[in-house]
Amino acid sequence: MATTAPPAEPTTVWTKEDAKASRKANNKLHRREHAWAAAFMAPPVIGWIAFLLFPLGFSVYASLTNWNGIGNMTFIGLDNYTRLLQDPYFWKALWNTVFYMIGIPIGLALSLALALALSRKIRGRTFFRTVYYIPVISSLAAVAILWQWAYNGDFGLVNQALGLVGIDGPNWLMDPTWAKPALIIMAVWKGLGYSTLLYLAAVQAVPRSLYEAAALDGATSWKRFTKITWPMVQPVTFFLVVTNIIGGSMIFTEINIMTPTGGPSWSTASLVWYVWNQAFRNLQMGYATAMALVLGILVLIVTVIQFRINRANDFSID
Amino acid sequence: MRKFKAAAVTATMVGALTLAACSSGGGGDASGSPEPDTAGGDAPNELTFMFRGGDYDKLAYQAAIDKFEEETGASVTMIITDADQYATKLQAAIAGNKVPDVFYIEPGKMMGYVYAGVLADLTSYVPQETIDNIWSFGTDAYRFNTETGARGDSADPLYGLPKDVGPFGFGYNTVLFDKLGLEAPSADEPMTFDEFVALCKELTQSDELDYETWGTGLNVVWNSQAFIWGAGADWISEDQKTVTVDDPAFADALQWFADLGLVEGVTPSAEQAQTLDTYQRWMAGEIGFFPVAPWDIATYNSVAEENPDTFGYDVIPYPVANEGDEWSTWLGSLGIAVSENSKNKELAAQLATYLSTDLDAQKILAENKVQIPNLIDYATGEWIETDAPAAGWPANTKAFLEIAESKGKPLPGVWTYTPEWYDNFWIGIENVVDNGSQTAADFLAAKQPEMQQLLDQSWISADQAKAQG
Repeated sequence: MATTAPPAEPTTVWTKEDAKASRKANNKLHRREHAWAAAFMAPPVIGWIAFLLFPLGFSVYASLTNWNGIGNMTFIGLDNYTRLLQDPYFWKALWNTVFYMIGIPIGLALSLALALALSRKIRGRTFFRTVYYIPVISSLAAVAILWQWAYNGDFGLVNQALGLVGIDGPNWLMDPTWAKPALIIMAVWKGLGYSTLLYLAAVQAVPRSLYEAAALDGATSWKRFTKITWPMVQPVTFFLVVTNIIGGSMIFTEINIMTPTGGPSWSTASLVWYVWNQAFRNLQMGYATAMALVLGILVLIVTVIQFRINRANDFSID
Repeated sequence: MRKFKAAAVTATMVGALTLAACSSGGGGDASGSPEPDTAGGDAPNELTFMFRGGDYDKLAYQAAIDKFEEETGASVTMIITDADQYATKLQAAIAGNKVPDVFYIEPGKMMGYVYAGVLADLTSYVPQETIDNIWSFGTDAYRFNTETGARGDSADPLYGLPKDVGPFGFGYNTVLFDKLGLEAPSADEPMTFDEFVALCKELTQSDELDYETWGTGLNVVWNSQAFIWGAGADWISEDQKTVTVDDPAFADALQWFADLGLVEGVTPSAEQAQTLDTYQRWMAGEIGFFPVAPWDIATYNSVAEENPDTFGYDVIPYPVANEGDEWSTWLGSLGIAVSENSKNKELAAQLATYLSTDLDAQKILAENKVQIPNLIDYATGEWIETDAPAAGWPANTKAFLEIAESKGKPLPGVWTYTPEWYDNFWIGIENVVDNGSQTAADFLAAKQPEMQQLLDQSWISADQAKAQG
């Protein structure tokens, strides 16, 4: 019976000098690697400090000052924050901004439905995908002007379409009740293509085997949607909700174009629009900064809550 | 190894520069071109001039600057920005300590800029005879007493010269009057409100012509001032400290203005006005009376040339409440200011004077219907007699000069530290003028305290700005 010889013991003997030399070489190597790492990390870090941390710190300080944006700053502690608590227009603008968020679930539901439709092999699929994406790449200013016409109370496209089914449409942008919904409809239309595109990618990434297994088990199409499709596209839903809330809280351009004075009875003024007016028209840069920071904190809180909820609902396929 | 190090440093630099470029690009113009350096000139004869405007402004100022450079040996860099970005760009330039030597300034923002030490006092740099030859409103709009906060007093320091004065005149459609066989309103004497309404009723018809017409169609935000003033009321007291909209005369005038549409039916409805705004309807020949300002003249002339069967126009005084009352309207202006920190302040003041008063530049601007001339002797002499008629200004252009000379007032809010109190007036105004769900008296009773609070706050802010410097 053949046997194999045991492996030879290592013959190398490490002396103190060897260890020292190795450490030195390692240190030199590490130093070089660290230098390279630092060089590669420097641009984003410098950028983060210069364009995020410094402006943020400056904003925090500016919010504690009486500053008109051109002269010197005077430290006034929390006066700007107590002022905004008593400012009815701040609350009105905040309420308007929150109201605009109604468009987020509506937009997501529509875009998911569209994505499901466009993921099927239907005629003209590419054409429809393109059509729905065009508003995303269109200039917001141009789109706002077009919708301003479409919302015309008398001969606007929207009311003409409603008239075909016997509905006498309101004077959208001049009616305090309908001005905000009008802007929401426009925002949903504008963002539909982007959400649909992401949902489409997510829907197409769902493994077919899951649907086949569910079909074998006799699952209805509604069950397949609620138990497979919806959970599988949840990461995209989460991403869209977070980004839409952040984006929605900054709504400004369409308001400034379609209702430049804040709409009838100030019904469309968003918080960012109010901040801009206070900062650049009314020379209240310190106060405007305080409002902007409060808005930022509110968005941060909502985002953190969303992340918590998302973590609780997280799942994986083994 | 050295090569690697150099590459790493280069990469780092490129990365940092890329970040910086991305950052500045966000607020840049659509062309993606780099932001111009707005800082004032360093060399003894170098100046920067930042402004906004159209092709004719550029043409006129280039002519004035060419002459200025030739006469003084100075070198002027022109920085032109989009009109809607000018204010924020200027504010950013000031905050970044890159104030141009010479720049446009809105009279409404002047107080803050003076308190912040941004504007130079031009009183000693501009000869008195030059000032005497400019419409007094044009210079008074840029005078400011830093101690009292008072504006518009000819004895106070001068912080700017007018780029222009913009009379917001009133006009009527000459063709429509002819077609309906109506007598043209007087070019010199204002109508009373009653006479105006009577004419508007005659102009409002849907049978006599093959298109519908209305007496007038006035936007309350821009057109109500002349009527409120014509009734002897105002938004603010003379010392700019009390909101006076609770004056019964104000309520009567505002209600009268609202009733033009709501009761008399002589204006397109809010829906009709939204379909085709009254400006477009005026140019389509559907409206009898409408505002006419110098910046409209070129457009109105081309419409009149293209559609002589429906549109022609002339300027008249604004109506007043009662016979014998004084008519007035608002007079806008944009100023040319000099940086307090300019290294060539005297030269910069000289350039500002050139831009405001150079005869050739004024001729270019007036010939192209951008503005009426700033120079009184030219405007009331050669221009009104020969140049204006030759260039196609309306027959009664002297009404514009009358506004510039004595009938013009600043818009309320322009002479206070901030206009927030005045802007607040328009919130909810549609309930009075568009749908009539609120009477003018009720609206104004609720508005006055709110506006007064904002005006008080404006004065507090002014005092704080003054203390901060």
